[in-house]
Amino acid sequence: MKQNQGNKKPHKFGMVIDLDKCTGCGSCMVACMSENNVSFRDDESDKQKSITWMRVYKLTNGKPFPETEICYLPRPCMHCEGHHGHSPCVSVCPATATDYDFTTGIVSQIYTRCFGCRYCMAACPYHARYFNWWDPVWPEGMKESLSPNVSPRMRGVVEKCSFCFHRYQLAMEKVYYDGGQELGEDEYQTACTQACPAGAITFGDLNNPKHAVHQLVQPDENHGGKPKNPDAFRLLERLGTNPKVYYFSSRKWVRDAADNNIKNTKDA
Amino acid sequence: MSEFDDKSVDVSTERDVSADSDGDGVKADNGGLAMLLSFIIGLVAALIIGWGVFPALLYSEKEQPVQFNHDLHVNGEYMECESCHYFREDGTFAGVPTLNACIDCHEYPIGSSEAELNFVDNYMATGKEVPWRIYSKQPDCVFFSHAAHVVEAGMDCVACHGHVGTSTSLKPYEENRITGYSRDIWGKDLTGVFKKHPWDSMKMDDCARCHERETGSKGACFQCHK
Amino acid sequence: MKIDRRSFLALVGGGAVGTALTPLPIKLTDDISIWSQSFRGLPNEVPVPADGAASYHPSVCTLCPGGCGISVRKIDDRAVKVEGAAGFPVNNGGVCALGLSGLQLLYGPWRVQAPKKKENGTWKTISWSQAMTEIADKLNKLRQAGRAHAIAGIARTEAGTVPSLLKRLLTACGSNQFFAMPAVDDTFRTAAAQMRGNAAAVGFDFENSSFVLSLSAGLLDGWGAPVRMIAAHSQWRNTGAKLVQVEPRLSNTAAKADQWVAINPGTEGILVLGLAHVIVRDGLYDRAVTQNSESFDALKALLKKDYAPGAVAKATGIGEPVIEQLAKDFAMAANPVAVCGRGSGREPAPVKEVMAVLALNALVGSINRRGGVFTSSPLDYIQWEQPVLDDMATKGLKKSAIDGLHKLPEALNKANVPSIEALIVAEANPVYGSHDAGAMKAAFEQIPLVISLSAYMDETAALADYVLPLHNNLERLEDVPVSAGLKTPVVGLAQPVVKPQLDTMHPGDAILKLASEMGGSVSESFKWRDYKECLKSTFGDDWRALAKDGYIQKTLFGETMDAERLSKRIDFGPLLKSRGAMSEVPGDKNQYPLVLVGYDTMRIAAEWIGTPPFALKTVSDMVIKDDDIFVEVNPATARTLGLKTGKAATLETPAGKARVRVNLSDGIVPGVVAMAKGFGHTAYDRYIAKKGVNTNTLIGPVEDAVSGQDVAWGIRAQLKNA
Repeated sequence: MKQNQGNKKPHKFGMVIDLDKCTGCGSCMVACMSENNVSFRDDESDKQKSITWMRVYKLTNGKPFPETEICYLPRPCMHCEGHHGHSPCVSVCPATATDYDFTTGIVSQIYTRCFGCRYCMAACPYHARYFNWWDPVWPEGMKESLSPNVSPRMRGVVEKCSFCFHRYQLAMEKVYYDGGQELGEDEYQTACTQACPAGAITFGDLNNPKHAVHQLVQPDENHGGKPKNPDAFRLLERLGTNPKVYYFSSRKWVRDAADNNIKNTKDA
Repeated sequence: MSEFDDKSVDVSTERDVSADSDGDGVKADNGGLAMLLSFIIGLVAALIIGWGVFPALLYSEKEQPVQFNHDLHVNGEYMECESCHYFREDGTFAGVPTLNACIDCHEYPIGSSEAELNFVDNYMATGKEVPWRIYSKQPDCVFFSHAAHVVEAGMDCVACHGHVGTSTSLKPYEENRITGYSRDIWGKDLTGVFKKHPWDSMKMDDCARCHERETGSKGACFQCHK
Repeated sequence: MKIDRRSFLALVGGGAVGTALTPLPIKLTDDISIWSQSFRGLPNEVPVPADGAASYHPSVCTLCPGGCGISVRKIDDRAVKVEGAAGFPVNNGGVCALGLSGLQLLYGPWRVQAPKKKENGTWKTISWSQAMTEIADKLNKLRQAGRAHAIAGIARTEAGTVPSLLKRLLTACGSNQFFAMPAVDDTFRTAAAQMRGNAAAVGFDFENSSFVLSLSAGLLDGWGAPVRMIAAHSQWRNTGAKLVQVEPRLSNTAAKADQWVAINPGTEGILVLGLAHVIVRDGLYDRAVTQNSESFDALKALLKKDYAPGAVAKATGIGEPVIEQLAKDFAMAANPVAVCGRGSGREPAPVKEVMAVLALNALVGSINRRGGVFTSSPLDYIQWEQPVLDDMATKGLKKSAIDGLHKLPEALNKANVPSIEALIVAEANPVYGSHDAGAMKAAFEQIPLVISLSAYMDETAALADYVLPLHNNLERLEDVPVSAGLKTPVVGLAQPVVKPQLDTMHPGDAILKLASEMGGSVSESFKWRDYKECLKSTFGDDWRALAKDGYIQKTLFGETMDAERLSKRIDFGPLLKSRGAMSEVPGDKNQYPLVLVGYDTMRIAAEWIGTPPFALKTVSDMVIKDDDIFVEVNPATARTLGLKTGKAATLETPAGKARVRVNLSDGIVPGVVAMAKGFGHTAYDRYIAKKGVNTNTLIGPVEDAVSGQDVAWGIRAQLKNA
């Protein structure tokens, strides 16, 4: 057997979302649902029980009419690296049903292994994890539209955004089959990135200087992936979760909101 | 089976006898022997159950819908594994072939074997796909890349599937009554410690062991799970 | 030997030791744990999707007028994902939430499974041949009775071969009562015809604009071709182009704009002329244009008299300095463009308002200029021979028709003899989508024979006597003409992605079949063997290009860009002459102190189809919660009315009454109540129906003085604690 995984620098897939471009249209959310066999119920208006791996939040600057401003913020799983792979959710899982993949930087999981304690949900500061409170039910005929590349989740397990890891798997199969050496930037893109009409989402390998995500944020590996580009920021940076989703916004109040800046507190 | 049954009969007979006879001295004399005997009976019975009855009850044997002769196709007709079990252009693996792969030769029977007639009459003629029972079928939550193993790592089919390619008949499919999986996943050997060939079992631990050995890491969940 | 307690324990002990020496404990434990892990749910087992070969199939989405190119991923015969087609001229890879939910419409329980006939109020499944024979028979009887003109038809749009086939069927029968659901394109065409002398499709070169002034146009809320607009917005972010959103509500478009100018609803036209006033007053207009145009002096006089910033500020609620500055910014920009069409801009707008916007564009030279407004001849690739008319048809065609779809309730409710005795509805949902939907429903109930051609059991189909189930958009071949504000219109080709799942028919084939069943001259009017042949022969030599590329851009039709079309010349006269006030909201101001406006968002399908479950999942719980719809009101308004956020209230308008809940929002002009469009379906099923309120039941039609179209966008309302 060949051993060529060892000498390559591992990938670190990440995402950059330009909030100036995001219009809050919801395409990313639906692209994600359709790609990942996310279930739905006849009433989805209880948002605490509605599963949306990718969720677009609506932020307001809190000012009265007519100074009110709104910013839309898409929130996938941040795929936190923490310190050396200690993402908040991974470190609390008693079932080893979720772990940090050092070769891709993706927080991965085994749905069937999860026994539904929901510690990870409590630990995730981004509310990126969702629990299946019910058996997922597809109305008659609609099972036809389920993708075989993502296994549908059953009641009692937690699920979340995977950065469309199955797309990585399929892309790698093609790379292997073609005898190629490297995965091209456009060969692995998440469903939300691909669908976004605004082109607001950029996805790629943060470790690869040729990839747009790297060039956009210039992650500082010595400081937990903090962006060297001063215009880029991450959510709740001060928690040290070291997320791999970066944002851009030209509006200061948005950047402030991202770190929950309370007056007179300093960056830790 | 009766070894077990006989013994129990013995026990009950003995009990009847001893119940009839009385006297404390007899009881004291026989106490150690009775315990030893009971222990051995229990031990043997458990061993019989554990090694014989349990495995027999755990799996239900099912015949394949069509008796396919790999050897005839591979050695007789000089076909390659890839003729039927091929990679698609996108690098995914087609797995067990559909009727399309067979129609060129077997649209009508070319021999007179019972297996072929069964295949042509019941499947080819009706257009119904053969519901093959796949010995190596992994659960729905597993992602396995043939391209990564066969093309990239250069592994041989035999490494995981054994010598199916040269078999002359298909062995019965043994389905685990509890899990619904094929016996080949856990392996014929229930202890799991006498694994001689890599293809003897294909549990998650087997994957992890090999991955650890070959790549230095067991891999993360998503490497094999979807 | 006697079995006493000790020997029993020994037996058990032996058993335990023996068991430990077998694989039973570990194997059983493992199997049970695997079993528990693969527990797939009770009572509903989680399905295991079948694996197979993946493939991609191109088509064009027809769920909105945007006409995006899509690529559908299939696993063997199953469609599993809709993606945007890269390189398609409209959307270039992007795709919207509704388009992405397309598979739910395809595979969902709301499809009509087979032809249905209503007998004594209950549906009965019948065969296609029975349906066709019965309908043909009834239509023929009407013709023979000299009532050919009482056969009417409603199509979703006017353009394309399928609506044209329906129109042709009606003509061949002897009726000119063909209606298309009203569209904003009609308004643009009317305005362009009057001001530029040719009925032109109006398009916008947004990609090259440097300053976009949007007058309540929901450019990022579904306006035009929605994906294209969002992409254009991203381009503005890259180039530094400025977007100013004038709108009563902080919509997504307003949220993304560089400047949100909150305006009193309905006064957008006044603001436009106010801006024109400043531009003319300060001499910021393009003299080359005005010298070439007619009635400029009259316009100047009118602007001077009626539209001084002070007066405009009073009407619109926008400060004078803002108006002055906005006018200057607009006029000084290199490539400014002004655009209107409320919300998704699908419904017709007041012509006078559109003319004002065209005039503003003309003043700064933005007509037929890079980044501005472009006029082009409408897509007219359908050139069929005249249908064959027999006596019955000729007589029928001499009779007059109802003057617009919105007049239908009035015409039917007043007349002694119903002016429509048979109605064929092709993929339109007027019972849900017309203003004063309640009156439309009542009118439909009076029509003796309603035939609905629909893929879904929607409100209109539910009222019909016959439902002829159609192939869904992913199951059929069809031309998709797209103007939708594009600079260069496109004709896309929708292609079947999956085989028909149910006992359905292509709408074109259904019409051809019906015609052939009717026989005589009606049948003779349709010489095509089937719809596919009809479509191919319609395109003639262009068919190959269409089939190969999946679209044709209009230039391929050999349009000559003559000087007249490319000129910037405009006639301001029609704007000055047109009747009607600039701002008019129906309803009594004292009884109804507030103004209700419906708003569009990209996440809700507000037109002929229901919002699929995936798209519904994206809708905020401050828009719909349980079955209650929320209305947005300014906290100041709420204070005076004593309303609290989340609390139930009664919303009443001259057209209707509904229970709503209140959402206090600083992103709305005081005195305005905003409600999302697209809810309150009564048909469909539990996933779509009975959620919220249909805005159309609260808003009555308003007829435009120029076009005669229904241009209602809002209504006076009152809101009280429930």
